Amino acid sequence: MAVEESFTNQRSTAFVISARKRAIQKVGKTFGEALLLVIASFVAIVVLFIFYFVARDAVPYFQIRGFSEFFTSTDWYPADDPPAFGALSIIYGSLMVTVGSALLAVPMGIIAAICLSDILPFSIRQYAKPVIEMLAAIPSVAYGFFALVVLAPLLQNNGGSILMWAWWIIVAPFMTLVVVVTADLFTSRIADRKSRNRFNYVLTALFGIVTIFILYFVGTALSKLQILSGTNALNVSIILSFMALPTIVSVSEDALQAVGRELREGSYALGATRAETIVNVLLPAASSGILAAVILGVMRALGETMVVWMASGNSAHIPQPWFNYLESVRTLTATIAGDMGEADQVTGSARYHVLFAMGLLLLVISFISNLISERIVVRQRKILSGN
Amino acid sequence: MNLRTRKLLDRSFTALGFGSLVVMALALLVVIVPIAVKGIGAVFFTGTIEHRKMLSAEFHTGDPRELTSEAAASERYRANIYSMLSGFEGELDRMDPEKKAEYKNKYGQVKSSLQALLGPLPGEPAPMLTRFKYGQTRWDKAQEKLHDLLYETKWDTSNPNAMSTEYFVRRAESFKGTSLEKLFPYVEQNIEKMMLPKFTFYSGFITESSVDSHFFGGIWPEIQGTFFLAFGAMLFAFPLGVIAAIYFTEYAKPGFFNSMLRSANSTLAGVPSIVFGMFGLAFFINTLKVSDSKSVIAGSLTLAIMILPTIIRSAEEAILAVPKTYKEASLSLGSTKWNTIITVILPAALPGILTGGVISLGRAAGETAPIIFTAAVSVGSAIGLADVFNSPTPALSWNIYNLASEHEAAGELRHVQYGMVLALITVVLLLNLSAIILRARISKKLKG
Repeated sequence: MAVEESFTNQRSTAFVISARKRAIQKVGKTFGEALLLVIASFVAIVVLFIFYFVARDAVPYFQIRGFSEFFTSTDWYPADDPPAFGALSIIYGSLMVTVGSALLAVPMGIIAAICLSDILPFSIRQYAKPVIEMLAAIPSVAYGFFALVVLAPLLQNNGGSILMWAWWIIVAPFMTLVVVVTADLFTSRIADRKSRNRFNYVLTALFGIVTIFILYFVGTALSKLQILSGTNALNVSIILSFMALPTIVSVSEDALQAVGRELREGSYALGATRAETIVNVLLPAASSGILAAVILGVMRALGETMVVWMASGNSAHIPQPWFNYLESVRTLTATIAGDMGEADQVTGSARYHVLFAMGLLLLVISFISNLISERIVVRQRKILSGN
Repeated sequence: MNLRTRKLLDRSFTALGFGSLVVMALALLVVIVPIAVKGIGAVFFTGTIEHRKMLSAEFHTGDPRELTSEAAASERYRANIYSMLSGFEGELDRMDPEKKAEYKNKYGQVKSSLQALLGPLPGEPAPMLTRFKYGQTRWDKAQEKLHDLLYETKWDTSNPNAMSTEYFVRRAESFKGTSLEKLFPYVEQNIEKMMLPKFTFYSGFITESSVDSHFFGGIWPEIQGTFFLAFGAMLFAFPLGVIAAIYFTEYAKPGFFNSMLRSANSTLAGVPSIVFGMFGLAFFINTLKVSDSKSVIAGSLTLAIMILPTIIRSAEEAILAVPKTYKEASLSLGSTKWNTIITVILPAALPGILTGGVISLGRAAGETAPIIFTAAVSVGSAIGLADVFNSPTPALSWNIYNLASEHEAAGELRHVQYGMVLALITVVLLLNLSAIILRARISKKLKG
């Protein structure tokens, strides 16, 4: 009897928690969860702090000098007396290298993403992904060093022939394809097979000759170009496109993967080829996700510092003519990085605060584009999941 | 459209896809190969006797007895040059003033290029800077300087419409008829005997401090600074990030507050790196005053903020990848939620969390912009662990920039720059490679 009693007692202490203990546990749980929440909101606090502290040092600039000079003037002489803080040419420089890198990286990135998600067999995909990750992992200063020490002299000494070969290698296959397809489009209405084929050959030959002439003349014109300085907008755009590519590829690949099998199979069942399925079905379905990818990739190029600082030439002027990528430019990030060392000595002056105004501009642009891309991704997910 | 054309389009589309992937792989190769090839040259190279002299005098390494005998052998051939120089100086004194002025300038150029090649000439005052105390330490550089000695560089500006082109004139021509004429063929023939080139493995490039702002010596202070900054950043960011990820995956309830936190996370991930640097300067240094001026701790904190979103995101993914059955089994055995997280979910997610951590570590090590205003100095010695709170440090990433763009002799020090870039890339890519391997193992394990 006694043994049994002690056994039940033991069991009750072992399995049933006393009220006091339970209270402690409950307090501990609430406290712990509150702590977790605080730590998780740390990120939000940091974001607020970044906005506050950058804005706090940016506002005095606008108080001292007003808005119009910063956004409309191209005279950038911060160290002169009287100083001039026209940042238009610098903003334009940032825009220029960003657009340049996007022009190179966006088509290539989207096509590579399609290739990864729909064309390559899984065994090869395994090896392609680490390549992209490595491309993303290389530090920006290493890219900048490459741009300055390897690419810039190459462009300066053999720029014309490099451009010519790039033109031929990239454009020639495209033009060939365009010739074949247009000839086919023109002749596809002809019912009689024999005359259609004959007409097709004639048209192909005709377009082909025109194309070869275009290729040749543009190529020779490019080869005659003299590049005065290898540290120019083209150099930076090429390197920045390397840096934007991994983001564009991985985010658009996710977007393409999110498009279900049903759409693909439906398209194949209707007799479409793989290319037609991709262009007519997959890309429209994934378009918003790809747009988000492009925004993120472009932001990476806009916010990049070291490459543009080292290899853009850092001359604050708008190139003549405005699309001349062979001239040196100066960007917002490079200006902040380069001038802070001297402006730091004169804390409180317009020269110091104007750099923070530039930082605020970058911050606001990145914030807005992030919000947009995030909205896009959320909306796409909702649409694809069928709500 | 014709079926043949449709097929062609399909094929060319596939080719385009492969092509763009090939271009990306090529881009990787084009960037890495020159850096790797030339970077290795910072450690393995053909060193001259000047290199051995420098090592012995500045770092007290090498065999002094062997060096003395080598130096004597080299001096035997150099003595002839010195006697030729003094012979010409005597001849110069005897010339008429007009000719003398003409030759004096040219002779000065010869002397300075000889000095660059062989080190200080006897009878000259001892140089102040260490960089002028020795001749060329590397055989490839020595050959460049030999070319400078033998040929005079001139620019052809005859065509005003094109860029001027450079051409070379033999210096021996301009000294024709003087006693110095013999000097040039003599140097050209006996350069190997004077410089004694020998294949060298210079491990000091990794383990030694630099002498006279990277002219000689190695990059150890930079490597150490990079490690301090990156590990310091991890120390702050990793625990915070993992805890935040636990909250997001296990505790957060969907709602406005939660989606705001997530927006904040992705905003932070998109902030340009230079803005982090400005924030670090304005907040950690000017407001919180964690240190009087730049310091390792300020840099680490700034980097920590920068890598936090990456860590959170990868830890979240790793936790979500843990099969639900693990969690359910643990809960059904009566363990509490927290207990389940600590004993079941985290251990299962650990490799994935570590993968993200390793990648972030690489990013922190490679990033430059956030540490420009907060932690990096261009010249400095290695700092002790106790100095991290109040002293700045050189770091690989910043010093690559500084040496390549701002150093007064950037063109002379390419081998050091390549060596630094290779060191940085090796660290970062090895970290990433280990992450990739780790992840491959996890996915194998999860597949069963």
